[in-house]
This record gives sequence, C-alpha cells and structure tokens, in this order.
Amino acid sequence: MIAIEFLRYRNLTIDALNIHPGITTVIGPNGSGKTSFLKICAGITLPDHGIVTIDNLPPRETEIGWVNEFPDRNILFARVIDEIASPLRFRRATSCSAIDEEVRACTESVGISHLLTRGVRELSGGEKVLVSLAAALVHHPKVLVLDEYDSHLDARCAATIDGAIRASGARYVIRCTQQMDTARESDHLLFFDSGRVTHTGRPEHVFQCLKGTAWYPVLWEYGI
Amino acid sequence: MKITLTDACGIRDNWSLSATGTFNEGIHLVSGDVGSGKSTLALMMAGLFPLSRGCVVKEDVSSCMLSLQFPELHVTGRTLDEECTSWGAPADDILAATGLTGRDETSPLSLSRGELKRLHLACVLAKDYDLLLLDEPFSSLDCGEKAKLCTTLERRSQGITIIFTHEQNILPRVFRIWEIVGSRLINCGRPPDAFLHWYHLPPSVKKLTAHGSRPDNISPQDLREAACRIHG
Repeated sequence: MIAIEFLRYRNLTIDALNIHPGITTVIGPNGSGKTSFLKICAGITLPDHGIVTIDNLPPRETEIGWVNEFPDRNILFARVIDEIASPLRFRRATSCSAIDEEVRACTESVGISHLLTRGVRELSGGEKVLVSLAAALVHHPKVLVLDEYDSHLDARCAATIDGAIRASGARYVIRCTQQMDTARESDHLLFFDSGRVTHTGRPEHVFQCLKGTAWYPVLWEYGI
Repeated sequence: MKITLTDACGIRDNWSLSATGTFNEGIHLVSGDVGSGKSTLALMMAGLFPLSRGCVVKEDVSSCMLSLQFPELHVTGRTLDEECTSWGAPADDILAATGLTGRDETSPLSLSRGELKRLHLACVLAKDYDLLLLDEPFSSLDCGEKAKLCTTLERRSQGITIIFTHEQNILPRVFRIWEIVGSRLINCGRPPDAFLHWYHLPPSVKKLTAHGSRPDNISPQDLREAACRIHG
C-alpha cells in the first residue's frame, strides 16, 4: 500500500490517503496539485511536511518509472534506442545482449519498433511520449507514475499503451489524465481540487459525485 | 475567404505528406495517427514548412495564427505580465480569465502545463485571425477548460479555424472533418455523413452509431442528444 500522511507541499494538503495496488487515476482542474502529487509519489520532489511510503519504503528506495507531462522534459539522449536503453544501462547490472532484448520487447509492446533507429528531435509530440513510456516501462518498475501521458495520443495508440501498462507487472500505476473515458477504466479515482483530494473511491462512486460537471463522462449516465 | 492546397507535399527523410483540398470558413477538424503529419500539415499551411512540390494558396486571408502543440515553445516573456504583453494582449484581463490573477511576476515556465496552455490560448484568442491553426489545442487542458475552448471557437463569427487534434471526447461542432491516412490528407466530408468514411471516428460516436443512433455532429451536446434518442 502507498500510505500518505500529513502531506504539505505548495498548495497540496493531504492529511491521510492510502493507495492500493492497481491503477489509480488522478483527475481534476489544471493547477489543483496533481503534478506535485505525482512527483512526490515518484520521489522526484520531497514534501515540505509529511510522509509517503510505498510498501513501507520511501519512494526514492523504490523502483519507479516516470513520464513527465512535458514530452521534451523526459528525454536525455539523441537516439531513441539510447533513450529507451538508458535505465538499464545506468544500472550496469545487465549484459548488453540482455538490454537489447529488453528494449526490443518493450518497444514491441508499445508499438514503436519502427522508431528505434530514429533521432529524438525528428519525432512528433506523440512519438516522444511513446518513447518516454517505453523508457519508463523497460526496467519493469514496481510503481509507474504517468503525468498526462495520453494528451498527445490517438485513441488506437492509447489503447495499445493501456494494454502495455496493464501487462507491465507494475504493482502500482498512478496516472493523471484529462480523458474521462480512460479514467473510468481504473481501479481507483482521486479527484483533486485546490490542492486537496475531494473525492476518492471506485470510478462509479467518484463520477456520481461529479455529475453535472465537465468531468462527468459524456455517455456515462446512459450506460454507453 | 479560403485556403487551398494543391498537391502540397512535404518531405522529411523517409517520410512524406501530400495534401489536396479547400478549407472554407468554419471549423475544420484534422485527425490522424501519432506521427502521421498533422503538425507538419499545420506548418505547411502556415508557410513554415517548405513544400517539395504543389502549393498552398490563401484567398482573402489577411491574418494567420498558428498555435503550436507545445505551449512552452511560444514563451518569450520572463513573467506572465511580459508574456501577455508580448502578444499585445491586456495582461490583467488575460490573467483574470485564466485564473492567474496576482501572479504577474511568475515565470511562465514555472506554471503547470495545463495552466501554461490556458494562458497561451487566451493570448492567441485575444485577437481575431482570418486563419486560425490550432495544433493539439486540447492537450493538457482540464475538462472544464476544454468545454470553454469549444464554446469560444464556436462563437468565432467568421474566419477559418483548423483544429489538428487527438481529442476524442470534448470537441466543438465542426463544419468538415479531414484525416491523414497513408501519408495523404483525406476529406471525409461534413458530419454526420463524414462518420461513414472517418477512420479515426471517436469511440463514443462509434458506440452510439452501433446502438442505432448516429449523432448529428461531434460535440458533447450532439452525443447526449443521440444517447437520449436511444433511451427515449
């Protein structure tokens, strides 16, 4: 379980929150603290106050895959193949042939084998996101934290990625999206407003609380 | 007022895109897979990508604006106040409209991506342009802001608005639908007949059609009306 207690950071105020294994989707208005929350869960940012533990360990002692909401801020290397291989190469615990095999399998699962030899600069926005996702998945993290990863993806591509995420073996997936059709396919939803988690629970419960707002899926009430 | 592409071809390495078609006044939607060339087509229409053959001709278009998909690429000001001013837009009004009042001295690059996108679009839409090219305008916007943007675009009284997007759920009513398939720009036609040929038909429209209730257009209101018809 991911346990959060007395968290304070910028406008974020969370006194107690538990996140269970599975896919947890974070939704809410721009500027409500979603990205800050994800960065704290990923160990990128330390809170001003409070404690976050992932199965009793701090985030920075946990294997985490991370995708930034700014596609260009994810990428370190000039070539796609080097970018995706980098998490494994940094470990220095895997042979070159094993890394090549992991990269090949990962790019196949994300549907970007054709991009492996390309330079990163020539990629479209959506392709950059896919490369970042592959780099986040390639080392089989325990926790996958994805910040608006789908805002540059078409529907078919998003479906492929969804399959790859579910097959990744990550114990916890914490993702932020503005696509409510994606959010409804989650185990848990967290709705953020002004730095606080105002609704939490199963999608059917949270969306019921959001009826009449722009976050209520368009066809939800019709069972479609 | 119109923009006409005649066998306009853009080439980059082993990739190419060919486009033929006329865009009249109204809202046009251009869809396509990741990497299919939507952004390149927007650049070609704006005159910012060299054509290897063919031409792009604008008639009675006296002003053109291209909004890039990455709002951070537009930033020139060190503060929000400077950023708004650089667009010739009244900073106080823009910051109030985007919920950023009091943050005049904040760096634009310290905003969340959604906030930055909101600010950028408010600056773009502060003026009227004959040709408005919007590359992924909905990306990073929250659901409420997407709905507001749809309303703003639908209220544009004249001009050509071309939206290049992956958005599937919150879209404005559009005049014509286009898509890029197999390196070519395809004119799918006007909704709802366009739905018959539209490869990138949004899943919600697909589901409603499968239930025997084809929406008239692609806005949430059209989808709700079609759903109501199913449920009487």
